[in-house]
Amino acid sequence: MSTKEDRERIELLQGTLDLLILRTLVRGPAHGHAIAKAIEFNSEDVLQVEQGSLYPALHRLIKRRWIAVEAGTSENNRRAKFYRLTAAGRRQLSIETSKWDKLAGAIGRILRPAE
Amino acid sequence: MFRRDRMLNELQQDIAEHLERETEDNIARGMSPEEARQAARRKFGNVGRVMEDTRGVWIASWCDALFQDLRFAFRMLRKNPGFAIVAVLTLALGIGANTAIFSVVYSVLLKPLPFPDADRLLFVFDRLGQQSGAETGISFRNLESLREHNSVFAAMAGAQQHQLTLVGYGDPLEVDTAVVTADFFSVFQQRPLAGRLFLPDDSKAGAPATVILSENLWRSALHADPAILGKSLNLDKHDYTVIGVLPASFHFPKVRPANQIWIPLPQDPLFGPFMKFSGGHWLPVTARLKPGVSLAQAQAEMDTLTAELVRELPAENTGWFVRVRPLQQVLVGDVRTALLVLLAAVGLVLLIACANIANLLLSRATSRAREMAVRAALGAGRGRIIRQLLSETTVLGLFGALAGILLGEWGVRVLAGLLPESFPRLNAIHVDYLVLGFALLLSALASVAFGLAPAFLVAGSNPNANLREGGARSGQSAAGRRARSIFAAAEVAIAVVLLVAAGLLLRSFSKLTAVQPGFEADHVLQALISLPRFQYNTPRQWTAFCDELLTRVQAQPGLRDSALVAPTPISEGFINLGFDVVGDPVSSAATSRNADYVSISPNYFQVMAIPLLAGRFFDGRDAASRPPVTIISSALARQYFPNQNPLGKQLIFANAPYPSVPHEIVGVVGDVRDVNLGDDPKPMMYASMAQEPLPGALVVSRTTLDVAGATAAIRQQVAAIDKDLPVTDVFTMTGVLSDSVAEPRFRTLLLALFAAMALVLAAIGIFGVISYSVSRRTQEIGIRMALGASRNAILQLVSRETLGLVGAGLAVGIPAALAASRLLGHLLFGVSASDPLTLAAVSGTLVAVAAFAAYLPTRRATRVDPLVALRHE
Repeated sequence: MSTKEDRERIELLQGTLDLLILRTLVRGPAHGHAIAKAIEFNSEDVLQVEQGSLYPALHRLIKRRWIAVEAGTSENNRRAKFYRLTAAGRRQLSIETSKWDKLAGAIGRILRPAE
Repeated sequence: MFRRDRMLNELQQDIAEHLERETEDNIARGMSPEEARQAARRKFGNVGRVMEDTRGVWIASWCDALFQDLRFAFRMLRKNPGFAIVAVLTLALGIGANTAIFSVVYSVLLKPLPFPDADRLLFVFDRLGQQSGAETGISFRNLESLREHNSVFAAMAGAQQHQLTLVGYGDPLEVDTAVVTADFFSVFQQRPLAGRLFLPDDSKAGAPATVILSENLWRSALHADPAILGKSLNLDKHDYTVIGVLPASFHFPKVRPANQIWIPLPQDPLFGPFMKFSGGHWLPVTARLKPGVSLAQAQAEMDTLTAELVRELPAENTGWFVRVRPLQQVLVGDVRTALLVLLAAVGLVLLIACANIANLLLSRATSRAREMAVRAALGAGRGRIIRQLLSETTVLGLFGALAGILLGEWGVRVLAGLLPESFPRLNAIHVDYLVLGFALLLSALASVAFGLAPAFLVAGSNPNANLREGGARSGQSAAGRRARSIFAAAEVAIAVVLLVAAGLLLRSFSKLTAVQPGFEADHVLQALISLPRFQYNTPRQWTAFCDELLTRVQAQPGLRDSALVAPTPISEGFINLGFDVVGDPVSSAATSRNADYVSISPNYFQVMAIPLLAGRFFDGRDAASRPPVTIISSALARQYFPNQNPLGKQLIFANAPYPSVPHEIVGVVGDVRDVNLGDDPKPMMYASMAQEPLPGALVVSRTTLDVAGATAAIRQQVAAIDKDLPVTDVFTMTGVLSDSVAEPRFRTLLLALFAAMALVLAAIGIFGVISYSVSRRTQEIGIRMALGASRNAILQLVSRETLGLVGAGLAVGIPAALAASRLLGHLLFGVSASDPLTLAAVSGTLVAVAAFAAYLPTRRATRVDPLVALRHE
């Protein structure tokens, strides 16, 4: 039983993390560290995750062709790998966002029925 | 895959860079370098696990999707077991039949003969006539001339075969004896299991008699005697020294392993004396091409040498042509056409099976259109849906292949049992890896073929429309309906082709077995007694033996009607001789005269019930001391004495075992099918056994005794004369006749079986289409009935659809069948490829079967209750 629960929790986490990565990349290509910092900053440290879990998520998104990799140089002229949102990724983001909004709305209505 | 590898290779570096940046940030926040590095690592988490997880993302990708698809496919099939079982069984039948027939085709036609560089082995034969004619062996003298003067063959050798009697090891045993010239083993490039093979010296005049044994004979009769080399064997009362043993894998010229021996031609009591004749066509020759020489080059060289032979010996060689053909082609012989026809037939059966499954899947796909629409709406791409459907058909295909291979394995065993003994390369037939590969390829192609159409149909349809439509009525796209009807009509068309072919073969077979052999076969049996040539080496001894044997046998109860003959009708052992007519010399080679020569005891014609047409039978007058006489067959009289009375004319046999003296024609008898029921009777000339005995004969008896009783009685009489003489080859004449049509019977039976399978599958196809159509139109039928349509009108409505399918199938199938039946060629006997009776019977059968298949759904349509139908949905 516990494995099943684990899997569900990881899946929820993965979905959320994927969404956050896609959202971050809307503003333009970024390298791994920058993405991690942005997520930390934007979620106001509420969604504290180990930075390492970013990488499986990135690869998952690459596999689904929602993001792509390109070589580039970072702010201090160092070689870096930049992750970029693809057209498919952009579409997915809007689907995920609206799903998320609906879910959040539904949860909100259940929690605050008076509104 | 490449993308994955590159990504994973760079992962470690990516992580290192990430940590470095975090460390720099931490230093900027005022940590010491050591603290900064540790904090960065803490924040990142376990690097090893991250790498593992990331790798897992990629590995899971295709494996998981595949397993998911397959698991889902299984679940869907389990939910609908009826569909799955019908589909798998249909496919298994198609693949099983194909595997079995392909196994036979591969083993017999495609697999190289088991000799080194077997593709370079040729059969060299003489043919009477430039373009066509009987193929025979060649004379020893011509073989020697060809062998010395040709530049295309690496080796060339002759091999005849007969039987010798081995005594000294238990009961007297008849062993199959190959009589070979010096180069025989250079042609086949064999290595002995023990000892040595023949050297040129073994074939020289005056050389000691030597023999090589087959492993079979060595193991069975000689009990695998380890000290056999150098021992002597007593064959036909003569001693031969054993010089070698050949492995069981080599058994040429026999087609399957046998108790076999090989001896040099000059040492053979039967064929050895033939070597001195300058003519005759008695020695089958094989040759090995030199590397790089083509068949056409070899033939061209033979043409040149033929001209040479005619110049040297015009009397013997005029009109004859030396031809070469690949050995494999000769060994396989006539079976080739039959096998290819059967292969085409099972291919068609598989096509029908696929069409049937495609139809099943289409029906299922339309009823699942709503499910697919929901999937599409939930985000499944077109490719994803096609993959899902294809993986379902692949699972079906795999199960079908598995069941089919099991069925095929069993089928091959049944086939090998059904095949006539004389079938070429029978012992080579089995399922091997290539055939298994063939079956798997077949099932893969089949599952893609029958899965693709419905998959595209579903994926291509409009999900919105499917979602809006009601459950039962969803997915009734015109395309789907049309596809189903086309599949069913195609099945009918293919079934027509198979049924016509099977019908033609059945008619041929019934005509073949109805052929009058020219003698009464019932209650006649034959037994072979051959005399050891070394002990019985003069015609006088042969006559003495034959007279005593016949007198003794005729004295036995039930065997009064017995005669002697050599050789019997319907056998391969005929002696074909040229002959001259006294006072009418042959004007040219084209008119050279040939006939089959048979030596008989006087009462032979009475025992066999061969009618006398003119003159008289042989009798006591025709003794050795009297002028030689002959009786000819009606065919000989027709061919060589048209509009003349042949009685009183005199024939001189060429190359006969007896001096070329004139034989007066004293009688004309009815024709006998000499070699084969299917071949026209050839001219025959009979000699009196008292005047021209042969070393051995067959006893033919018309008797009411059973085979065992008659055999025992004959054996007893033979043993009373000479206890070392074996009696072999005891058969009933009806058995001989039945065996002679074993191969036609085999192919007719199989093709009829395949046609029946096709018919059943096509009937299932029609049933499926009509019952689907009826259930789809239940509402319409209800409305029609409510509006006053009679049951008859509904019956007509549904029947019209059935007849439409059959009509379309026949319209395509009949012309296709007419074209295909021409390919049957020589398999047809006494029936034309466009036999109207067969076509009519097939059309009638199909209409009847279609009506039967459509009966249940049609009845359901006429029993529709309008009230229920209108509420339907």
